[in-house]
Amino acid sequence: MIEFQGLNKWFGSALHVLRDIDLHVSKGEVVVVCGPSGSGKSTLIRCVNGLEPFQSGRLVVDGVDLGSKSPPLRKLRMEVGFVFQQFNLYPHKTALENVTLAPIHVRGLPKAEAEARGREILAKVGLADRMQNYPGQLSGGQQQRVAIARSLCMQPRVMLFDEPTSALDPEMINEVLDVMVSLAKEGMTMIVVTHEMGFARKVADRVVFMDRGAIIESGKPENFFKNPQNERTRDFLSKILHH
Amino acid sequence: MLGNLNIRVISEYLPDLWEGFLNTLMLSAAGFTGAFIIGIIACGLSIQPVRWLRGVGVAYIDLIRSTPLLAQLYFLYFGLPRLGVLLPEFTIGIIALALNSGAYIAEIIRSGILSIPRGQFEAALSSGFTYVQRMRLIVLPQAIRPTISPLIGQAIVLVKDSSLLSLISVVELTRVGQKIALDRFMPVEGLVATAVGFLVIYYLLKALAASWSHFNRTNSQ
Repeated sequence: MIEFQGLNKWFGSALHVLRDIDLHVSKGEVVVVCGPSGSGKSTLIRCVNGLEPFQSGRLVVDGVDLGSKSPPLRKLRMEVGFVFQQFNLYPHKTALENVTLAPIHVRGLPKAEAEARGREILAKVGLADRMQNYPGQLSGGQQQRVAIARSLCMQPRVMLFDEPTSALDPEMINEVLDVMVSLAKEGMTMIVVTHEMGFARKVADRVVFMDRGAIIESGKPENFFKNPQNERTRDFLSKILHH
Repeated sequence: MLGNLNIRVISEYLPDLWEGFLNTLMLSAAGFTGAFIIGIIACGLSIQPVRWLRGVGVAYIDLIRSTPLLAQLYFLYFGLPRLGVLLPEFTIGIIALALNSGAYIAEIIRSGILSIPRGQFEAALSSGFTYVQRMRLIVLPQAIRPTISPLIGQAIVLVKDSSLLSLISVVELTRVGQKIALDRFMPVEGLVATAVGFLVIYYLLKALAASWSHFNRTNSQ
């Protein structure tokens, strides 16, 4: 589904943000990416839907070669949902409008059909009573669930999460994680950048650790947490797991 | 000075003043409408990724903002006939006002667009919207709100700038004031009558701005 081969990316000429990335994500797989800040995690998943260009190597997502001359990005982005740390909901639209905007205008769904689908998905993320609210009237956790619903309403084949709970108050983190857990259990292909190791333990098929733009270690959650091979991974895990 | 103002003379010229007032209103309204359309187009061009289109937009904005309105007005007034374009003074006046304010309005709209967080563009981009859809559905509706107050400010400037059109013999408020001054040798009466007319228009626009900001407060999410 997603195939990185020797991918390299620089910001400008000096900052080498991604180094020789090799990563394969199969259909239905849930991959958690963690690592210290500035290690390139966000940049990695932003490459997957073409938000960031890269300079060398190969990246193929759902059959689309992102390194080709002009990849069909719009078509790809319909199939790849993206959830941002800062939600990025449209503040001038209600929750329901946020969710139905792309299905109507990008997929070309009739309005009634899009709204029926939108209601169903908002209800699924626990926001049946919030459809007519504007983002400014919702809590952070509710906004992020609307943002997830907005991506799901496009019926994507892949979902990317860029630190979806980092901007939330602690008591709201679980309501968002619960939605992601149920999504993972339904078989969605997901790459999740997060430091929520409880989530990783529960649903990840694989955990990837990044540092300074490179993938240092990757493995099944049980091995990754119990028996990390690399010194930097051990160091990182000791910092985030033991307060 | 105003104590011995000759109200009788002013009242004799009321029909002329009314005509001038209406003409000023019309020139301003037509000029602003044109300026708004030009402003949106010029702004659209100036933020284009395509380089030569952007060049056209930026060149227009720079040219207008760097030269005086009076010079632009004379340029059109004397220049257009040499190109074989013969237009009434009134029309030339509207074109000059629209071209002039259009550049400033382009900058106002551009600042509105730049005030929108980057995340909005990225969210729209990652949902697969086209450039035109992103602008129409997500960016412009949000960009308009912060631009309303500066736009009304620009409208106030445009109304006062329209007084320059008296120099190409368009009969508007200032021109009527000059007429009173020249016919009766009463410049103060002429100027006061002119000023009252502009004051009325100013307060109309100010009321509009106030009702907008009230609307804005009560409807902001």
